[in-house]
Amino acid sequence: MRLLLLLPLLLTVSCTSGQPEDRRIVVTFSGSALGAEGELLTRHIARFEQANPGIHVRIQRTPDDATQRHQLYVQWLNARAGEPDILQLDVVWTSEFAAAGWLLPLDRWKPDAGAFFPSTIAANTWANSLFAIPWYMDVGMLYWRTDLLPHAPASMEELAADAHSARSRGVPYGIVWQGARYEGLVTSFVEFLGAFGGRILADDGRVVVDSPEAIRALTFMRDLLTSGAAPTDILTWHEEESRFAFQNGAAAMMRNWPYALTLLKSPTDSRVARKFAVAPMPGAPGGAPTATLGGGALAINAFTEHPDAAWKVVEFLTAPEQILDRSKLSGYPPRRALYDDPRLGEILPIPVPLARSIVEHAVARPATPIYSQLSELLQIDLHRALSGQLPPDRALHDAARDMNALVERTHVRELVAGSAR
Amino acid sequence: MTPIQPAPSRAPRPESEARTGWLLTAPALLAILVIALFPLAWTVWESLHEHDLRMPWLGRPFVGLGNYLTILHDARFWQALGHTALFAIISVTVELVLGLALALAMNRGFRGRGVVRAAVLVPWAIPTVVAALLWRFIFDSQAGIANVVLTNVGILHHPLVWFVHAATAWVPVILADVWKTTPFVALLLLAGLQSIDKELYEAASTDGASAWWQLTRITIPLLKPAILVALIFRTLDAFRVFDLIYVMTGGGPGTSTEPVALYTFNALLQNLEFGYGAALSVIIFLVTFALAMLYMRGLGLDLGGPRRR
Amino acid sequence: MTGRIASRVGLVLLVLFAAFPFYWAVVASFTPEATLFREPTLWPRELILEHYRALFAERDFLTPVKNSLIVAGTTTVFCVTIGAFAAYALARIEFAGKRVVLAFILAVTMFPQISIVSPLYMLLRGMHLINTYPGLVLPYVTFAMPLAVWLLVGFFRQLPPDLEEAAMVDGASRWQSFTRVILPLTGPGLATTAILTFIYCWNEFLFALSFTLGPERYTVPVAIALFRGQYQVPWGQILAATVIATAPVAVIVLLFQRRIVQGLTAGAVKG
Repeated sequence: MRLLLLLPLLLTVSCTSGQPEDRRIVVTFSGSALGAEGELLTRHIARFEQANPGIHVRIQRTPDDATQRHQLYVQWLNARAGEPDILQLDVVWTSEFAAAGWLLPLDRWKPDAGAFFPSTIAANTWANSLFAIPWYMDVGMLYWRTDLLPHAPASMEELAADAHSARSRGVPYGIVWQGARYEGLVTSFVEFLGAFGGRILADDGRVVVDSPEAIRALTFMRDLLTSGAAPTDILTWHEEESRFAFQNGAAAMMRNWPYALTLLKSPTDSRVARKFAVAPMPGAPGGAPTATLGGGALAINAFTEHPDAAWKVVEFLTAPEQILDRSKLSGYPPRRALYDDPRLGEILPIPVPLARSIVEHAVARPATPIYSQLSELLQIDLHRALSGQLPPDRALHDAARDMNALVERTHVRELVAGSAR
Repeated sequence: MTPIQPAPSRAPRPESEARTGWLLTAPALLAILVIALFPLAWTVWESLHEHDLRMPWLGRPFVGLGNYLTILHDARFWQALGHTALFAIISVTVELVLGLALALAMNRGFRGRGVVRAAVLVPWAIPTVVAALLWRFIFDSQAGIANVVLTNVGILHHPLVWFVHAATAWVPVILADVWKTTPFVALLLLAGLQSIDKELYEAASTDGASAWWQLTRITIPLLKPAILVALIFRTLDAFRVFDLIYVMTGGGPGTSTEPVALYTFNALLQNLEFGYGAALSVIIFLVTFALAMLYMRGLGLDLGGPRRR
Repeated sequence: MTGRIASRVGLVLLVLFAAFPFYWAVVASFTPEATLFREPTLWPRELILEHYRALFAERDFLTPVKNSLIVAGTTTVFCVTIGAFAAYALARIEFAGKRVVLAFILAVTMFPQISIVSPLYMLLRGMHLINTYPGLVLPYVTFAMPLAVWLLVGFFRQLPPDLEEAAMVDGASRWQSFTRVILPLTGPGLATTAILTFIYCWNEFLFALSFTLGPERYTVPVAIALFRGQYQVPWGQILAATVIATAPVAVIVLLFQRRIVQGLTAGAVKG
C-alpha cells in the first residue's frame, strides 16, 4: 500500500518538466510566443486545457527568424526527437518536412480541409496528403498613399505611371518592395509574375520561370528600377527597411506583408498614419492580381508519443473561434466562412471585403520538398537581373535551367505529378 | 677531466618522461575526444554517401568520393572559395598589422593603460551576430550613420548603397571583422611582447639602432611564435566565417560575398543535403589544415618546438 | 619625437575606431527606434529609458547573463587548468607522438561549426545533456581547448629551458617544479588564455542555440537572438541588452589586466 502512495511522489520528483503535477499527458508546442502573439497563444492554451483537463501543453519558444527556427527543427527531427509534438511551420516548409518523413499525415483525423482557402490547403499538401492545418495567412499587399494618389492602381501599367507621377512631385521613392537576395525577393517577384500570367512550376512539375510572361514580369520590375520609379536601395532591403521608408513618408507605394499595418497606423511613430490604405497588388493583361501566400500552419511531429493529444491541440487552435480571435494579430484568417461573420469586421484593421479580395487572390509558392533550393537558385538570378548584372531573359533562362536540372536530379517530379504548382 | 654530466637521479629517463608527458596530456585529449570524435567521424562518413534528407526514397547510397568530384566541378563552390580567400587575406593582414600597432602602443607605459586595454577589448566581447547587425546598421543606406558622416565630410557626394555592389559590399564586412577581432590579435601579440627582454632594446638603443631596426630585427623575430598562433587561429576563423556575412549580406548581391561556410550551411541546414554538405566541410578542413602547415613552414617553426638536447 | 607623436595619434585613432560603434550602440539604445531610422545623428537629441525598462520588465534578461557567466566561467577554468597540464607536457617534455597530438588538437577546430552541430546534437541528446550546463560546457571545452593549449605552449616555450633541472637539482619532483617554478612565471600567459577563452564562450551562438531549449538555460547571444520578431529587429532592446551584456566582460577583462601587469613586474623589467 505504501509503495502505491510512494509512486506518485517518485514520479513527481523525477519529473523534469518542473510542473506541479503531471499525471496529465504533456505535449510541447513550438512556435512564436513573442509579445502579443505570446499572450494570445497562452490564452488559447489555457482555454484548451480547461476543456481538456487530461492534457497539459508546454510552450517552447523558438526564434522567430525563419532560418533559425528551420535549422532547429531540422536538427531535432533529424535526431528523431519526439518533442516538440506540435510544430508551427512556415507555409513553405510543409512539403520539405513531409517528404523527409518528419510529419504525421493528418487524414486519419479527417480535418475539415474544405473550410479553408484552397491555396492554403495546397501549400500544406504533399503527395496528396494533408500534413499541416493553416493557422494564419500572410499575404503580400500594396500599401499606397491616399494623399498622393487618387485611388489604388488598377493595373501594373497604372502602378508604374503612379510611381512616376509621385516622383515628379518630389516624393523620393515611387514604389518600394523587398529586393535583397533572400526569400522576400521571391515573394515580391511571385506577385509581379502572377500579374503577367506567369508561374514558377507548370502542372507537370517542370520549371517554367523563363516563360515569355515571366520575362515580361521581370523586365517590368527591372524597368521600375532603371527608370527611377523604384530606388536601387531596395536591392538590399528586407521587410523592415521598406516599411521604414514608407513610414517616414519617403515612398508613395510599398509592397509588404500585413504586419506593417498596425505599425504604420501609430500616430507617434508614423508620418503616414492617416494617409495610407491597402489594396491587392494589381494585375496586367494576361494575368491577374496576385498575393503571395505566407503565414503559418500547425503540424504534428512524426515521432511524437502522443499523436491524438497533439491533434486535439492543433484542432483546437485552428478552430473558428480561435482563428477569429487570432485575427487581432496581423495575419488574416484562412477559414472562408469567417469572412461572412460580422464579428470579423470589428477585428480586422481593414474592411472585410477588401481583405477577402486580397486573400482570394492568394497564390502559394510551389509545394515541393526542394522549394528552398529552387528558391535560392531563383533568388540569385532575380537579384542579378535586378541589379543589372544580367538581362532579365538571360537571368530567367539560367534560373530555369538550373532549377530544372535540380528537379531532374532529385526525381521529384515522379512523386509530385499533380500536387506541385 | 670529469665529464660534466647530470647525475642519474637528476636527468629523467626517457620512459618515465614519456609517461609523464602522456599523463599530463591525457585529460585534455580525453576532453576533446569524448565530444569531438563522434561528430568528426560522422561528418567524414556522411561525406562518402549521397544523402538528401528531403528525399528518403533516394536512399543513402555509398558514393565514395562522388561528392568530392561534384564539388570540384561546382562553379559556385570555387567562387565561394575565392570569396573566402579574399576575405581571409585582407582581414587577417589588416588585423595583424593593426593588432601589432595596437600591441606596441599598449606596451608602452602610460596612464590609463588598463582602461584603454579594456576599451579596446570591448568590440570583441560583443556577440558576432550583434556586431554584424550593428555594422550593417551603420552602413545602411537609409538609417546608416556612415553615409551621413561621409557625405557631411565630403568624401561621398551622395549616399551610397553599400550592399548592392559586390565591391562596396565587402567594405562593411571586412571593417566589421577587423573591428571585432583586432583586439584578439592585439592581446596575443601583447602577451608575446611582454615576454621579450627589455634589455635587448636597451642594448640596441645604446648601440644607436633606430626604432625601425629594433622593430624588424628584435621585436618581430622574437614575436614569431605569437604571430604564428595569431595567424593560424585568425586564418582558421576567417575560413570558417559565417555569422558575420550571413547577417550582413546574406551572401549577396547575388552570391558575390558568399563564403564556403555559408555555402555549406545552405547545403546542410537549408537544403538538407547532408552528404554534400559533409563533403564541403571536409574540404574546408583540408584547406585550413594545409594552410596551417604552410604557415609553420613559412615561419620556420616546428610543431614540436626546438628540440631539447 | 615624431615617433612618439605618431604612435600617440595612431593609438587615439585606433581607440576611436574600436570605441565608436560601441558609442553608437549606447546612444542608439537610448533613442526611440523611429528616430533612428528617420534621421540618425551622431549626438542624440532625445534620450529614453524605454528599451532598458522593457529589457528587464518584459524579458527576464538577468537569467541569460547568469547562464553565460556560469558556462563561460566553468569552461575557462577547465580549459586553463587541463590545458596548462597538456601544454606544459607538449612544450617542455620530449615524448613520442607529441607532434601528432598537437596536430590533432589543432585539427579539431578546423571543421566548420555548422557541420558539427547536427551530429553533436545527436550525441548530446544521447547523453541526456540537452538543456543543461554540462551540455554546453563540454562542447565549449572541446572547441576552446585547442586555442588554450596552443597559446600556453607558446608561453611555456618562452621560459628558459633549464628551469626544471635547476629546481630538480634542489630535490624537487617534476610535479613540484611545474607547480612551484614554471606556473607562477606564466601568469601573463594564463591570464591571457583565460580572457580569450572566456570571451570565446561568451560570444558563442550556434551551439548555445542548438543545445538549449528554454529561457532557463539560454545564454546571452541566444536571448538576444530571440528578441527578433519575424521581420522586426527591435534595435533599441538589442543594443540595450548588448550594452548590459558587455559590462561584466569589460569588468573581468579589467581585473585580469592587473594580473598581467603584476606578472610582468615580477620579472624585473619596467612595466
